[in-house]
Order: sequence, then C-alpha cells, then structure tokens
Amino acid sequence: MTVATAGNRWVARSPGARLAGRRLLTVIPVLLGVTFLTFVVMNLLPGDAAQELLGVNATPAEVHQLEIQLHLNEPFWVRYGNWLGGLFHGDLGTSLTSGQNVTAILGQRLPVTAELLLYAFVASILLAVGLAVLAARRPNGVADRISMVVSMTGLSVAPYVLALVLIYVFAVRLHWFPAIGYTSLTQNPEANLRSLTLPAAAIAFPLFAVYTRLLRADIVEQMQREDYIVTARAKGVRPWRVLCRHALPNSLFGLITLVALNLGTLVGAVAIIEPIFSLPGVGAILISSINNHDVPVVEGIVVVFAVVVVLANLLADMLYATLDPRIRYERSAA
Amino acid sequence: MGQPDGTEQVTDALLDVEDLRVTFPGRGREVHAVDGVSYRVYAGQTLAIVGESGSGKTVSCRAVMGLLPPGALITGSARFQGRQLIGLSDDQLREHRGANIAMVFQDPARSLNPTMRVGAQIAEAVRAHQDVSKARAKAQAVDLLRLVHIPLPERRSVEYPHQLSGGMRQRVMIAIALACRPKLLIADEATTALDVTTQAQIMDLLLELQAELGMALMLISHDLGLAGAYADEVIVMYAGRIVEQAPAARLFSRVRMPYTQALFEAIPRLERPAHAPLPVIGGHPLGPPDASDLPPGCSFAPRCRRAADDCRAAAPPLEEHEAGHRWACWHPVDGGTS
Amino acid sequence: MSAPLPELLAPAQPQGVPAARPRGRGRAPNLRIWLPAGFLIALFCACFFWPLVYPVPKPIGGSILNSGLPPLSPGHIFGTDPVGNDIFSRILHGGQVSFEVGLSVTAIGLAIGGLLGVAAAYWGGAADTAISRVLDVFIAFPALVLALAIAEGLGPSELHVIWALAIFSIPAFGRIARGATLTLREQTFMLAARLSGTRGRRMITRHIVPNIMPQLLTFSLLGIGVVMILEGALSFLGLGIPPPEPSWGSMIAQGQQTISASPDLVLIPSAFLFATVVSLNVLGDALRERWANPMGQSR
Repeated sequence: MTVATAGNRWVARSPGARLAGRRLLTVIPVLLGVTFLTFVVMNLLPGDAAQELLGVNATPAEVHQLEIQLHLNEPFWVRYGNWLGGLFHGDLGTSLTSGQNVTAILGQRLPVTAELLLYAFVASILLAVGLAVLAARRPNGVADRISMVVSMTGLSVAPYVLALVLIYVFAVRLHWFPAIGYTSLTQNPEANLRSLTLPAAAIAFPLFAVYTRLLRADIVEQMQREDYIVTARAKGVRPWRVLCRHALPNSLFGLITLVALNLGTLVGAVAIIEPIFSLPGVGAILISSINNHDVPVVEGIVVVFAVVVVLANLLADMLYATLDPRIRYERSAA
Repeated sequence: MGQPDGTEQVTDALLDVEDLRVTFPGRGREVHAVDGVSYRVYAGQTLAIVGESGSGKTVSCRAVMGLLPPGALITGSARFQGRQLIGLSDDQLREHRGANIAMVFQDPARSLNPTMRVGAQIAEAVRAHQDVSKARAKAQAVDLLRLVHIPLPERRSVEYPHQLSGGMRQRVMIAIALACRPKLLIADEATTALDVTTQAQIMDLLLELQAELGMALMLISHDLGLAGAYADEVIVMYAGRIVEQAPAARLFSRVRMPYTQALFEAIPRLERPAHAPLPVIGGHPLGPPDASDLPPGCSFAPRCRRAADDCRAAAPPLEEHEAGHRWACWHPVDGGTS
Repeated sequence: MSAPLPELLAPAQPQGVPAARPRGRGRAPNLRIWLPAGFLIALFCACFFWPLVYPVPKPIGGSILNSGLPPLSPGHIFGTDPVGNDIFSRILHGGQVSFEVGLSVTAIGLAIGGLLGVAAAYWGGAADTAISRVLDVFIAFPALVLALAIAEGLGPSELHVIWALAIFSIPAFGRIARGATLTLREQTFMLAARLSGTRGRRMITRHIVPNIMPQLLTFSLLGIGVVMILEGALSFLGLGIPPPEPSWGSMIAQGQQTISASPDLVLIPSAFLFATVVSLNVLGDALRERWANPMGQSR
C-alpha cells in the first residue's frame, strides 16, 4: 500500500508537466500554419502595398520602383522565408506603410488591447458565474427567467450596435463615460478604467450572454442528474452550498472550453470596437493594414493572437487538471 | 393526513409510514410511483423492502426524506419519532437528513463528488449538523473511516473517490451516512454495484454498526436472498404497492403471494442442474407494469400463473391474514382463497 | 437495475437537452414559435413586397432639401437622413439585403457544408479525416479577418459579401452535419437499414437527411442571425454593400457621425437588426426544444 501510494504521488507531478510540454510543441506548427495562411491570403488579394501607398494616380513605373524598394517584387517563398527568418530572431519586420518597426508598433498598441480584453473577460466571466448560479438556484424562477432574457438579448445584439447604443446612452446622454479616447493606466488609473468601460462592455456583453447560458444549463444538469448531488442533499447540506461547492466546480469544464475557444474570435471584435472608441490598440490598425496590404503588420498581429490562443488552450487544459483530480492523478484503483 | 401538525403522536415505532402515495406529473398521464404504502420501522430493527425496479421501493424512501425532484406529488403520512415529515419545507427536512435519517446509495462511483477529497466529504456531513471547527470535523472524519474499517484512515481521507476501490467507496458512503449518528439508516441497493465478496463484507459491516450504534436499518433491494439473510422483517413491493409483508423466517417458510414465490424461484441456486434455463417471472408483458397505466385489479395479474377473473376485476387489499403476515392476493399460494 | 429510476426522478426534462427553457404547457411554447415566426414573415413581406405595392420614396437620390427630418414627419414616417433619403424606405431595402445575404449564405452553407459533413461522417476513414481537417482550419481562423480581407480584395458588393461569408458558413454546417450524422450512425435503426441492404444514396436521402434535418434547420435559423450581424459588420466597415445602396449596417455606420444630434439614425436600423436576430434566435431555440427528441423516444 505504501509503495503504491508513493508511486502514485510521484507520477502525479509528471502528467501536468508532460501535458504542458506536449502542448508547447504544438504551438510551432499552428503558428506556421496560421502565418502561412495569412501570407497566402494577403498575397492572393489584388493590389499591393506599393500601389496603396502611392495611390491611384501613380504611374506603373513609380509603383514598380517602390516595389523594388519594399522587396515586393521577390517571389512569394522568398518573402515568407525572410519574414519567418526574422521571426526567429525576434524581428517582425517593418511596416510597409509607415516604415516603423512592427515590434515597436505592437509594443505600443498591444497593452491597450490586452487591457481591454482582460477587462472584458474578467467582467464577462464573473458576471456569468454570478448570474448562472442565481438562475440555477431555482430553475424557471424569477432570476432564471431574467437570465434567459438577458442571454437572449446578448446573443442577438451586434457588438457594433451595442457599442453605439452604449455610447449614446452612457456617454452622450448620461455623461458617465467618455465616448472616445484613451488614457493610459500609468497616467491616470481612474480615467483609464473609465475610458475602457464602454468598449469592454460592448465586447463583454455577448460573451457574458453565451457563458451564462451554457453555465446555467450545465449547473442545472448537474443538480438534476447527478447522484452525488443527491448524496449531498441527503447529508443535510444547505442548498447554496450544494450549488456552489458541489455543482458549480463540476460544471465549469464546458465554460472553460468555450472561453478558450472564443479567444480567436476576439480579433474580429477588437477590430470593430477599437476604431469606434478611437482606442490606440492593435484592432484599430488591423483593418487599415489589411486595406494597405501592409503584410508585416498584419502578420505580426496574427502571430500574437495565435500565440495567445494556443497559450489560452494550454491554460484551459491545466485548469481542467486542477478542477478534476481524475485527470491529475492518472492511477485508478481496481 | 399530510399536513405537518404540531401534535406529536406517541408511538413506539421509529418511522411510521401510512398510506404514502407519490405521483409524478408526466406527459399527459400521471405516473403513480407509490400507490398507498404503509409500514413501520422500530428502533434497532432491520426492515427489508424488496421489489423489481419500478416497484416504487426507492421512490418511497426518497419521498420520506424529501429527496425527490420538485414535480413530485406526495400525500400520506410519514412520522419519524412521532413528527410528521410529509409536507415539511426543505429547510425543515434538512434538520432530519443526515442527523436522524441517513441514506447510503447504490453506485458509490457516481454518488461521491469526484472533485472533492473523501475526508472533506465526510467532514461536510459532520458540519452539516454539528457546530464544530473544520479541524475537529476532519479528525472526526478520520475516526469515521476507522469505524468502517478502512485501513490507514489518515492517508485515505485526503484521497479522491476515484483512487479508492468500489468496496472502499461504499464504506466511505457509510461513513458519511453515520457522521451524525442517525437513528435510521436506509441502504438503497447499497451492495448491488459490488462483487459478491464485497457485498458480504459491507452487509456485515452494516449489521455490526447497527448493533454498535443501536440504529434501525432499512435494506432496499431487488435481492430476496439478501433480504432473507440479513433482515428481521421483509416487505415485498410490486407496482407501487406492498403485496406481502412478514418476518423474514415466516416469509421464507410460508410464502403466500405468487409474486413473492416467483421471486424465490428466480433466485439462482447452485443446486440446480447445469445449463438449465434460469427461471424468470414470465407472463406478458415482460417486466414491471407501466406505472402511468396501471390496470384495474391486481397489478400482477397479467403475469401471474394463478390469475383468475376476480384478480383482473378488482385489486385485492393488503390484509393481515395471519399473525404478523400480511398479503394482498385473492388466490394466495398454499392457502386457497383468502 | 435502476433504469426506470432516472426517468422517474427527472420526469419534466426532455432527455439530452440542457434545461434551458421551461417546458410550458398549452399556449406558452406555441407563442414562442408563432410570435417570432409571425414577425419574421411580416418583416420579410414588408421588405420585399411593400415597395412594390405601396408607393414608397426611393431609398437613394433624395433631395437635400429634405435632409434631416425627424421621425413622424409627414410623408417620412421614420424621417430622413442627412442626404435627404427616406429612412423608412432605406430600412425596407436594407432589410432586403439582410434577408438576401442571410438566406443565401445559410442556404449555401446548408447545401455544401451539410453535404460535406454527411459525406465525411458516412464514409469515415481517410476521407473523413481529410475533410475534417480542412473544415477545422477554416473554423480556427479568425473569421472576420478573412472575411474582411476577401471582401476588401474583391471589392464591395452584395455578391462578394455572400461569398466571403459563405466560406465560414460551409465549415460550420459541415461540422454540425458531421456530428449529427455520427450520432445517428449509432442508432439501432440505422444498423437495421444497413443490414437490410440499404446503401449509398438511398441511405442518405431516406434515412440520414430526414433525421438530421431538424438539427440543421434550427442551426440554420440561428445561423441566419449570425450572418445578418456579420453582413452588418462588413457594411459597417464599408466593405459590404457599397453606398449609397442601403444596408442596415452601413446605415448604422452613417448614423454614428451624428449620434448626438439624431440618435434615431443609429437606433432605428439597430432596432430592426436586433428584432430580426432575436426573433430568429427565439424561434430557433423553441424549435430545437420542440424537436429535441427526433427519435421519438416516448416514455
């Protein structure tokens, strides 16, 4: 018994590390795949950066001149290879439009986007857990019906519509938050949060709707179908504790999966929301970069998001292991 | 009958169930899971309720503890130490659950929270009714593990359910049930999911604990052999009703109800010749009746070898035809018409 | 042994469906189906037939003299925009665009994606893996970015928007159809059909398609809503329907500039978009619940 248990403890630490290691290895092919696909798409589109920079009135000779300057005349593979090579050295290239170092651009803009998304995520998850628990306490009760209406609204509203409505109500009419503009965290924390609240809400509300719906359904399912819930009730445990200590931890798996899955779609949300609020994040320049065929900038943004998505999925896996000891300790008894 | 009245009836029965009925609203038709069940459990006694799945045996016990889903309609009376349980609010019933009446369930793999340590789950049971510190509860949990003969209880108490064997998990369930020294322990198919050897061990453990703690024990099972081996009194249920009730010895020597007899014959025996087909309760329709569509008359009539026209016409009442032995049959075995 | 028991203990929930909605009796579920369905049908007819039947001012080329009229002005029930176009008319025509794009993209997705998914699940093996990988790549890619790129590259037009969005509709339907077919394959009646010699096309048309259709249809309804929002997003960014042709998305974008002065320029198209998508979602949900047990396991 002693030997077996000791062996069990030792094995327990490894699976987590092994899992992490395995996952990190998958980062590279995914990154390659995503960046390659982006490169392909950008190059398939008609037109190029030189054309965009010089405008419609430029002569073909001028365009060609600029193309040579920007290395755009080299074959596809060479360009991709160069960029990839640069990536391994940590050099993401320079913007074709502004000439700025892409890393520098990202360095300036990423913190804004990161803070915005973090704000949105934390808010949406916390609120979702809160509302889902309240709703699941009494299925088809008052809180539950409210949660369904709220969820349905959040699922049906377009983020850009929500953003504008929020601006109108809270900025134009009530003057609680600024309609546009951004104050950095270091300058003024309070103004920083206020400038990010409306855009974060526009992003968070649809997420919150989906999360609440899923979590509520999972919790209710646990409460109604699982035997250990009956055991807990038979012990005389209070209903709130049964809900929060027993049902909730076992219901989080679906939510975690969904959150990790959703991260990729946030690129799109950010690309629309940031310009509306004039936030100096990466989303704001994504569309213009696509328009200008500024490949290095687009690739840079894509790389960052791809890494974040992969890391998020890795984090999700680790969270599964934390929540479910069956994953952590692989040994199962006879 | 069914309103919680303030008066306490003086009776020496620990649990006094009278005309308990449980109905579930179904799609259009109601499901009569329990159809007028009455029995008594006395302190220190072991009562077995035997029946097929769908007979209502589990539903009737869960009804008493208030563990049925919200849609269930419960009428009748169930008094624990004289106090009416039917109709109490969930909060009021919680005082009884675990403290006075405890339950052990069938499948310990699914009945324990997979993400919570075993010791914590026992400690939770302790703290549900006793105002003790977390540390104290933890210590009590270890003591309880020792009580149910789990070796190395300190080590076991920080493990998770999936790290334990089936038999050990069931012991943990028993430890949880005993946390507050209940007066009545209901074992709902507690040994069905275990192998035969472990079954015997668990049953012996239950009897030992019963003697030690002076508990009443209710065994719910489909296994008539188990009931005979361990119970004082046996109740046989079919389609939501009690069809026969007697002290164990009497039941096994002088069975009356054809259903009970068929159950006897269905117990596999080693003495039978090899390769002989196992006897089943045949008849048509195979299997227990649809509880939402019970036929008039005796519910067992469609499958009964002795059924006659009066059986199909009217349901026989449950009556005490001999001292201590009740049955509900127009044409009982060994006795002609009642 | 305890087989009937779970059913007894959970009688009110349809099996396999997370209890997302109350199982109402009598009028309630019907209302959840007919109210949104009625609204959608009414809106559809209004958008496509009203301008034909009733004289309505043109959605473009309005006179600058008429600009900026507030709602409920005579002759302009929703007012006019800064260029003088009648908002009501623009809403109707914009609605045409939304319905056209929504329905076409979903139809393409359903037809091609559905077929791919069913084929992948039915054939299994290498074909399944190949198809699934391809679908997964598209699902993994940030949809909006690609749609933006395609729409921008091809130039703004309704047809290009449809193509750009169809690229995402197809993999989504493919995945759903594949999943549905896989679960279907495990059902015993499918085995019976296989054993009795049903093969290939007959198997697909007679057995598979009718049984996954409910699931695909509810997914379609929800999908139309998503497509409408995406089309709105593209138009909002100037990459969808080229102005001055009206689209609810571009109307919202235009209205953004004057949001303080005349918020209704934003609010009216937003309200229509929201109402349409909500109706689609509620209807899709209600139908999904109604059809939750396609195998008809009565108990």
